[in-house]
Amino acid sequence: MARAFLMEDGRYVAVLDETERFMLHGLMEQTRVVLSPEVESTGDAFADLVAAMGVSLGQDDQEPRASADPPDAEAHPGQERDPALDRLLPDAHRGDDAVAVEFRRLTEEGLRQRKSANLDVAMDRIASASGDRVELDAVQAPAFLTALTDVRLLLAERMGMRTEEDADRLHAAMEVMGDDDPLGYAMAWYDFLTWLQETLTQALMGEA
Amino acid sequence: MSTRLSLAPPAPVRSPETEEVTGTDDLVAPDVPWVTIVWNDPVNLMSYVTWVFETYFGYPRPKAEKLMMDVHTKGRAVVSHGPRESMERDAESLQGYGLWATFERDE
Repeated sequence: MARAFLMEDGRYVAVLDETERFMLHGLMEQTRVVLSPEVESTGDAFADLVAAMGVSLGQDDQEPRASADPPDAEAHPGQERDPALDRLLPDAHRGDDAVAVEFRRLTEEGLRQRKSANLDVAMDRIASASGDRVELDAVQAPAFLTALTDVRLLLAERMGMRTEEDADRLHAAMEVMGDDDPLGYAMAWYDFLTWLQETLTQALMGEA
Repeated sequence: MSTRLSLAPPAPVRSPETEEVTGTDDLVAPDVPWVTIVWNDPVNLMSYVTWVFETYFGYPRPKAEKLMMDVHTKGRAVVSHGPRESMERDAESLQGYGLWATFERDE
């Protein structure tokens, strides 16, 4: 049973059991993969280098690999962009696609890197939990908080929660779902993340 | 020492000189300001949005809460004004926090 983030001697501390930490870490890992698939390590330094250069030497790679694409999929109309990316990195200008595309070209890689760095901090803190205690210092707490936002954005997108109406509909449906319904399961974890984020926000704002 | 001290939000990320009109991209009307807008979404928490406005802009709590409520009830709020390049920087930073931020010319 989880305990909320609270301020303890200058640190933000939550108590999360093994299942909760495992789930949280796994969701953060998935979010990180969606954000920057092109820099995922394969464990082979040469292969990583080649992947980072946007080419693959694999024999099944006569076609350009999606993972080696530059971030602006608009430049490659044939490539499908993961809709979750539009949630994590939305268009920054409405009404002028050229401006939105240019902004994305200039900012997207940096945003992906910063979001990935936040997720790395958060995953490290979860992995470093001792006695079920997840502890954050004043620098790690905002990174953890922002990482939770990105995980919830990704989960929401995957569940089809894009508007307030979607959220109401999903929560209403949850009431009548069986325990083994995958959507109900995802919603339960989404609500857990929401609660956890709320407690860390309150702690950071000096209200807990 | 009050624990409150260590909870003070970091200094605003924007430096004062970013407020100066130095942009030259906006060739049509250089003195027309641009704005950064945050749009409502079903995911971001009211408390978190308030925290972001405090932390990033350095806005005091009442102003941060007012803007958050505008986003929540009106669907969007103008959260900063200035030259285009400052608004681009604000939109990028707010997206970094996971908010749905855009920039546009102030009509």
